[in-house]
Amino acid sequence: MRLLLVFPLAAMSMYAQHGDAAGKPAQNPAIGDPAAIDAGKKLFAGGCGGCHGPDGAGGRGPSLRDKVMWHSLDDSALYTTIEKGIAGTEMPASRLPAAQLWQVVAFVRSLSSPAAEMNVPGDARAGETVFSQAGCVNCHARQGRGGKLGPDLSNAGATRSYPTLRESIVDPDANGAVGYRAISVKLRNGQELSGVERNRSNYSLQLQDRAGAVHLIDMADVAEMKDSRTSPMPKDYGRRLSKPDLENLLAYLSKQSLRPVMAEKR
Amino acid sequence: MKLLALLISTSALLAQVKHEDLLKSPNADWLTVAGDFRGQRHSPLKQITSANANQLVPKWVHHIEKANGLRTNPVVYQGIMYVTSNNEVRGIDAASGRLLWQWKDSRAKKDGANRGVALLGDRVFFITADCFLTALDRRSGAVLWQKQYASIDDGVFATMAPFAVKDRVLVGVGGGDTGMRGFVAAYSAATGEELWRFWTVPKKGEPGADSWGKLVQYGGAATWLSGTYDPESNTLYWTTGNPWPDFTGQERSGDNLYSCSLVALDLETGKIKWHFQFTPHDTHDWDAQAWPVLVDLPWKGQPRKLVLHANRNGFFYVLDRTTGEFLQATKLVDQLDWASGIDAKGRPIELPGKAPTPAGNRVCPGVRGATNWMSPSWNPDTKLLYVVTLEQCDIFTSSSKEPEPNKGFSGGGAGPKPVDLGQFFLRAFDPLTGKRVWEYPMTGPGESWAGTVSTAGGVVFFGDDDGHLVGVDAKTGANVWHFNVGEGLTASPISYAVNGQQRIAIASATAIFSFGLFEPVKAVPLPAKR
Repeated sequence: MRLLLVFPLAAMSMYAQHGDAAGKPAQNPAIGDPAAIDAGKKLFAGGCGGCHGPDGAGGRGPSLRDKVMWHSLDDSALYTTIEKGIAGTEMPASRLPAAQLWQVVAFVRSLSSPAAEMNVPGDARAGETVFSQAGCVNCHARQGRGGKLGPDLSNAGATRSYPTLRESIVDPDANGAVGYRAISVKLRNGQELSGVERNRSNYSLQLQDRAGAVHLIDMADVAEMKDSRTSPMPKDYGRRLSKPDLENLLAYLSKQSLRPVMAEKR
Repeated sequence: MKLLALLISTSALLAQVKHEDLLKSPNADWLTVAGDFRGQRHSPLKQITSANANQLVPKWVHHIEKANGLRTNPVVYQGIMYVTSNNEVRGIDAASGRLLWQWKDSRAKKDGANRGVALLGDRVFFITADCFLTALDRRSGAVLWQKQYASIDDGVFATMAPFAVKDRVLVGVGGGDTGMRGFVAAYSAATGEELWRFWTVPKKGEPGADSWGKLVQYGGAATWLSGTYDPESNTLYWTTGNPWPDFTGQERSGDNLYSCSLVALDLETGKIKWHFQFTPHDTHDWDAQAWPVLVDLPWKGQPRKLVLHANRNGFFYVLDRTTGEFLQATKLVDQLDWASGIDAKGRPIELPGKAPTPAGNRVCPGVRGATNWMSPSWNPDTKLLYVVTLEQCDIFTSSSKEPEPNKGFSGGGAGPKPVDLGQFFLRAFDPLTGKRVWEYPMTGPGESWAGTVSTAGGVVFFGDDDGHLVGVDAKTGANVWHFNVGEGLTASPISYAVNGQQRIAIASATAIFSFGLFEPVKAVPLPAKR
């Protein structure tokens, strides 16, 4: 645990040291470009994937997918880190030429950048139809419209990376579904409640039901409890949706951003 | 008037923490981090019982600015509580929670967590993160002397509370995850002069050096937690950390003495009397840093001086503390898959395929261990040891990179998958059988470092994984009380008394809390103006 923390911290201090001296974020056409990201992905799998995992999910080296915050660090600092490596860690210097290094930067950035800032494939308008027809809307809301059981998706593209959005559709339990695990309880007064566990300790339970009603429960009043420790979301969307439908749905979710995003300029 | 002055000066003179006081179990005072020399953490106070603990309320909260994840174990003497944070010591009025004094070493070259102070005479002893043993006047916080005993340039640092015994103060070092050489050293409490130093990794040519391969110089075996002490045999019991590099063993073939061990040292000379290695040639970062608890019990019909040790590697050990003889080991946790048991000599019967690999290998317990430095406690009435345990497995990865000391390299890494997070349990063990008598499952994110305190009122208090201080019945484990401190707990509770009232205190992430039984608060009229 400690080690997994050490690497990102080392990486961040490196970013800080090698930030653009003029304070002007570097612009490179590769960033956000699907073709460059795709090329970068292949380079990454060959050179970086041994430590960071082929999809950047981490292994011996840290995951590069978990920190949406990293976006605030500029592209040139990330470029320098990959080019020169990180002293005192196992992160080596790269021998790739500049154009290819930028492709790797574009891929790494795509792992952790908010999806709304990326040029993602698919048709967002068609994705909105998928969102309704596949049943997503029954549990997820956007700006007040939709179901209440799952996480609100009004700002989904601005707060989640594209790989995270994808993962949460095809493998809803991949991150433990903390705050949204299915739970049902029977109270000592006979009342039965089910929904998601927004929080729970041995002493209190904060349960939200399908209608969105919040039940603040003293665990002393609970006679029986069934805690699934998993999300109530269907686990088969990865198979149930066709490849284009999934891509379109992801395009639609990626667009969900309350504030305008910089990437629209790109 | 003269008589009064004499009385004041006499009481001031008497107000000294004597070695004899430290030998006794705690009472109104809680004089050492572990309560007493034996590491039992048992308070004889019994005002709070399992029948009335439901009336416990917070009496005060003392916030420590800029604190984060406090690990301090409060120490209390004559109404003053001593706590620490990053390079800082505070004296607090233990009745009101008001600050009496604070001392901060603003020039320390390193920041870090701190586990507390030691008291002896009229002095408070404290260690800065960059290994300066510091003596302060316990009444004023004035600094009396500082002594640097190690350099952070050598890859070491300190988080521990010093341990004061007789006329000396014992210190150790952290840093075993990046290559260094561990030691325990004794300093004169009066002058700060070094009296002896015991290296936990032998030099080339010394006994045990052949258990290391070529990395002996940076073997680790850090000494980052205080020890315990047996006055009858004048023996110190100290635990040691992992061998370095943590997760790869190919460069350090052999058992790697005295890593992952309990060492018995002569207090006078620092010479080793015996050692017991829990995890020979460790590759999972299973430091032996957990308290060695000294108890005397009839063992198979004969009175015997024992040391109890719940180890990070997943086993609960009972040793003879005079000889170091292995007597028994049982499972602390259910999720334990690296060894099938412990053989008659105390050596783990290891199962194949459990070393870290480049691709990652799931092993139980995880890197934080089945327990860790969070304090266990012993109740002499129930004859049970209360241990916070963690059921968790981690993915352990290894690196083939050439080890380089003091560069942040530990040979790999370890951590849980998000869907495979652990769960904490408070468990009560009978040392005579090694068996679990009861357990209390906790909820929470699997991030706790909080330990326990036992009380003669029959309540065990502990910090849970959800930020609650919890009281459970010492015999049955039934919940009797809880309080949500509102943030994570990374320290262990104590019990003390002030103005005749028993208190339970614990550090949360950023504050010290003190609890006592409910009493109506008296109205306080403002004093008349003169």
